[in-house]
Amino acid sequence: MALIRLEGASFSYDAVPALKDVSLDVEKGDFLCMVGPNGSGKSTLLKLMDGMLVPDEGSILLGGRPASQYRRRDLARKLAIVPQSYALDFDFTAREVVEMGRYCHRGEAGARSVAGILDRLGVVELADRPFNELSGGERQMFVLAQALAQEPEALLLDEPASHLDVSHQLSIFDLLVRLNAEGMTVVCVLHDLNLALLYFKEAAMLYEGKLFAAGAIEEVLSPDSLASVYGVEAQVHKHAGRAYLTFSPRRRPARKLKVHLICGGGTGAALMRRLVDLGYFVSVGVVNAMDTDEVTARELGLPLVAEAPFTTITEDAYRENIELAGSADVAVLTAVPIGSGNLKNVNAVRELADGGMPVLAIAGIEGRDFTEEASGLLAGVPKLGLVSSDDEAVGALEEIWESSSC
Amino acid sequence: MFQEIRANRDKYTAWVFAVTVALLLLSTFAALAVGPARVTPGKVLDYIFTGRSTGDPVSVVFWTIRLPRIILALMVGAALALAGACLQGLLLNPLADPYVTGVSSGAALGATVAIFIKLPDIPWLTVFAMAGGLLTLFAVYGIATRHGKMNIYRLLLAGVTLSYLFFAIQAILLIKSGNDVHRVIYWLLGSFSGRGWNEVKIALVILPLLAVPFFFSDELDILLQGEERALELGVEVEHVKRVLFVVAALLTAVSVSVSGIIGFVGLVVPHLARLVLGPGHRRMLMLSILFGSIVMVLSDLVARTAFAPSEIPVGVVTVFFGAPFFLFLLRRRPG
Repeated sequence: MALIRLEGASFSYDAVPALKDVSLDVEKGDFLCMVGPNGSGKSTLLKLMDGMLVPDEGSILLGGRPASQYRRRDLARKLAIVPQSYALDFDFTAREVVEMGRYCHRGEAGARSVAGILDRLGVVELADRPFNELSGGERQMFVLAQALAQEPEALLLDEPASHLDVSHQLSIFDLLVRLNAEGMTVVCVLHDLNLALLYFKEAAMLYEGKLFAAGAIEEVLSPDSLASVYGVEAQVHKHAGRAYLTFSPRRRPARKLKVHLICGGGTGAALMRRLVDLGYFVSVGVVNAMDTDEVTARELGLPLVAEAPFTTITEDAYRENIELAGSADVAVLTAVPIGSGNLKNVNAVRELADGGMPVLAIAGIEGRDFTEEASGLLAGVPKLGLVSSDDEAVGALEEIWESSSC
Repeated sequence: MFQEIRANRDKYTAWVFAVTVALLLLSTFAALAVGPARVTPGKVLDYIFTGRSTGDPVSVVFWTIRLPRIILALMVGAALALAGACLQGLLLNPLADPYVTGVSSGAALGATVAIFIKLPDIPWLTVFAMAGGLLTLFAVYGIATRHGKMNIYRLLLAGVTLSYLFFAIQAILLIKSGNDVHRVIYWLLGSFSGRGWNEVKIALVILPLLAVPFFFSDELDILLQGEERALELGVEVEHVKRVLFVVAALLTAVSVSVSGIIGFVGLVVPHLARLVLGPGHRRMLMLSILFGSIVMVLSDLVARTAFAPSEIPVGVVTVFFGAPFFLFLLRRRPG
């Protein structure tokens, strides 16, 4: 039997719907995070689970019994809430605050003391200090201790670490992982998607009061669902066995200018991202597979021509690159070092320029030419625009775009 | 000094209570001894233990006037302080006192009506005041409760609004009544003057009511974190609010009906108690009761003797000493 079961639960605040027809099972031992934009109903969902709110339609069952039929004391022994922040204007010691969590076990024989919990959280020395004189991170540890003093079957956390510095954030989530390993069910509302990816394997995503997706976190947080739910462009990166997300700023109106980047070895990655963020259509070639520029172009979903890793550019790749670049308005050669393997990229620049395409290049090729050929090739390019940096390249492209759009 | 005690309250609790109880006995003793008919300290105990002897006029004064008056002051002081302590906790509002419930204004209106229609003071003034207070209690409770939930803000606003309304009605009655204005005002300012065993008998209701909040001291502590957190921690918040509001309002109604509106005790004493032993209600409620009794007995002593042979209303005395003290506390407290 599910520990917490939502069956078609709907809830409205004064006719403003907050949750619509949400069905979700939380099993004993689950370690689940709940994500979704502001106002998507995450906190409402926690309050429904905890019986603080009663659904207009559908039902919330805790161990098979409607949450609203529980006495508060019994509910407090089943579920404990850890709020985002917690204000107490009175002069209680931290220990007294934790002891309030024992209320739902009042009068029971053999009640455990809070000492074990304080010890577990490593906050014994702070326990006799006034709660209000502790730092935000220390206070949140005691709020967590108060919830643990309830000895609940499940912890429901609402943004437990959003006010905290990274060290306290990690210690709270590390603790949750350990508690879960001992059988504690954890449901945590989180805004920080990277924190979610770091600690959780299962996620549920809410959007406009509906359950948008639930399951393995990397599927729930796919770029597609992030685009439809948050309306942002996200890229998933995998590094050293971990997944993390980066986000592109909101796009400006499309520049409608097509830029072909000739790069490699990571010299084009930053410019690529900037141009994409500025709204240019960007294509890339020829780069070697697994090269930073190639990986970045793939993450950004750009059209590209790639060659096998550490391989000289073949004639096929060269021709493909010229074809892809042919539809661009401007070509840019980054500060990529030129060796025999990628000399063909300089040839490509020459061919495009000869065809009448404006070409920008980062100046100083002499210093990164290992072929004694490339510099000469480039020097013969007619109307080559030399720029000293990515910034200047962006400035030149903006000028080209403005003059072409007028 | 208070800060030192509060920081180590577990250690000092027994001492604080010992000193407070001693102070209570001392003030009661002093109040019994001092007055127009002077009673030597030795005689006080003598009178108490031998009982009333009709042959001795001082003994008669002691038994029929002074003793009931002082018992009444002890009970009313305790009742108002405890009511204030409960309401400050329930309403999460440091400005709350027994009179925010509107019950006192209802009682005052009741008393004014009794004076207006020229009923004899005994027992009608008390009866009408009690009726006014209780009717107001029902009204405020009804207005603040919807779908079985009592809304604290609605409760406060209803209480304050009804107070204004009653005051307006009272003003009209006062203007119409002419010569009785003096009596009404005197009653409103609160006094133990002329109260006897009849009032003590009525006030005995206070004693069982004083015990009730102690069954809820854990809940009151937890409620200081807000109603929502209290629910999350397992407190049946509505039940606690309902019981304590009714108890506080009853304590207020009884107090006002026997002694008029004595201000400031219900506001200041809980703050003083919190200042000494911290916000934990188990200690704070007990200390409030003791402090309330001490303050009231001493204030009444001043009211009786400062301008003897004439008396000033005890409500004036409590405000006179309470207001500067409270302002002093405000200045000293950080935040």
